[in-house]
Amino acid sequence: MHGTLGDFRTWYSVLGPLSRKHRVIAVSLRHFFPEHFDGIATDHYRMAQHVADTIAFIEQITPKPVDLMGHSRGGHIAFRIAQQRPDLVRKVVLAEPGGDLDSSLDPTVTPGAPSALAARMLISVKKVRDGDIDGALQNFVDLIDGDNAWRRLPAAAKQQLRDNIFTLLGQVHEARKPYSKADMQAIRTPTLLIGGADTTGSLSTIWRVMSEHIAGARTAVIPNARHWMFENDPQEFCRVVMEFLAGWKRTISRAAFPLAGGEGSVGVGQA
Amino acid sequence: MQTVHVNGYDMAYLDVGEARGPPLLCVHGSLNDFRIWGCVIGPLTTKHRLICVSLRHFFPEQWDGKGDTYSIAQHTDDVIAFIEKLNAGPVDLMGHSRGGHISFRVAQRRPDLLRRLILAEPGGELDATLDPGYEGGPSPLLARFTISADRIAAGDVDGGLEFFVDTLEGAGRWQRLPALMKQPLRDNATTLIGQVRDGRPAFSKADAESIRMPTLFIGGANTRGLLPKVLNTLAAHVPNSKTAMIPNTTHPMFEQAPQAFSEIVLDFLAG
Repeated sequence: MHGTLGDFRTWYSVLGPLSRKHRVIAVSLRHFFPEHFDGIATDHYRMAQHVADTIAFIEQITPKPVDLMGHSRGGHIAFRIAQQRPDLVRKVVLAEPGGDLDSSLDPTVTPGAPSALAARMLISVKKVRDGDIDGALQNFVDLIDGDNAWRRLPAAAKQQLRDNIFTLLGQVHEARKPYSKADMQAIRTPTLLIGGADTTGSLSTIWRVMSEHIAGARTAVIPNARHWMFENDPQEFCRVVMEFLAGWKRTISRAAFPLAGGEGSVGVGQA
Repeated sequence: MQTVHVNGYDMAYLDVGEARGPPLLCVHGSLNDFRIWGCVIGPLTTKHRLICVSLRHFFPEQWDGKGDTYSIAQHTDDVIAFIEKLNAGPVDLMGHSRGGHISFRVAQRRPDLLRRLILAEPGGELDATLDPGYEGGPSPLLARFTISADRIAAGDVDGGLEFFVDTLEGAGRWQRLPALMKQPLRDNATTLIGQVRDGRPAFSKADAESIRMPTLFIGGANTRGLLPKVLNTLAAHVPNSKTAMIPNTTHPMFEQAPQAFSEIVLDFLAG
């Protein structure tokens, strides 16, 4: 499951290593490329719609249950599916899942107020409406990966984001609920949380909070990587994912399942 | 992935975009696969159905480098059989680098299968009818490519790729490549083992003059060496041809300037 401004191509850099051991199904969510969405009729760009679409998609796959991996906003979707339909999911991999924490997880939160990230995303939305597509993309990418991140992106990677730019006009109304402690405690699916060691802001926080509240969650940090950590280091990303998927016990002991990936790693799983 | 059974194997392809005329069939070059076109399928599918194939032995196949079925002749046979089996009528055919060579040979042998032809810096050599300085024999680069192939066969994939990429694009180029661009090359590394055994015939004047369909040559304005010489010479002898050079780009011109490249292709296909 790709994230904001992504599509099935998001996973191109890891298809090779992962498909040596697994069948990989890379979806494009409703309104993302290859759909050429104009951003006008946004009623169906909702978090709940994308969750429902993906559940319906998995129901048509054989064999089930599937292993589900989501990046960023796609990680949010994967989390919600594991929460709502644990029968469909064998294991779940969340790579810097997106979203906000509610007051049960962060006492400083004011209910209903937009997060800092969401507020700055509105700048991109305004730029799209004004026709400044590359300005919108620069604001978005720099917001997440730091100043100059957009300028440093290869032109090919820029174009794939550009192809999905009008989905941002839907995303502002997507009605994404914040995570609660009860949401996280409800996850029973074996979970791997992956972060980039150099990611900053809320995207570097949410998965660490999840690791404290999802029972038995494993964690892995990709050194020298940021939010698009699987593009920053495809080999290391694939190594931790495949190690996680290969473990067959539902609860895995810490010793039997070392995911520590170097000095950037945080604690490896908590019962 | 979707596949078509041709010449005894399942040829994988990505089929994207709505059919509104002949499909545009895209053939990748050395060390690439169907994914290389990912940066232009957004703009191009606004007007065309695209079919991006992976040639025999390229990803998603995991090839061991053994056997004699990696050759220009085999790949040309495979593309011809693919178009026949696709049964969508004549197609527009686009090839990059070695894929441009294959596309040229398809056009030469089976003009009935094609409507228009796009050659983005086709790979190959010019024989004595096109280049009075031609001496015959193996490419001067073959000895260096053989060193790359031997390293890859011995398991030193990154060492072999570094030697190959730096030979073509200058010392230090591999190290500077973003990780997300290195990984697809790794996924196809074993094809270099086949490629050093691939004796491809040089282009002749008669070959070029036999291409009758509307043909577009696309080059990177900053590409050096044999590639622009071959492009300009073929363009001078293919009767119904146009040439477009994209400023500030080199051999992977569509990755470096996806928007400019797509505009040129869309113009040509619409004209």
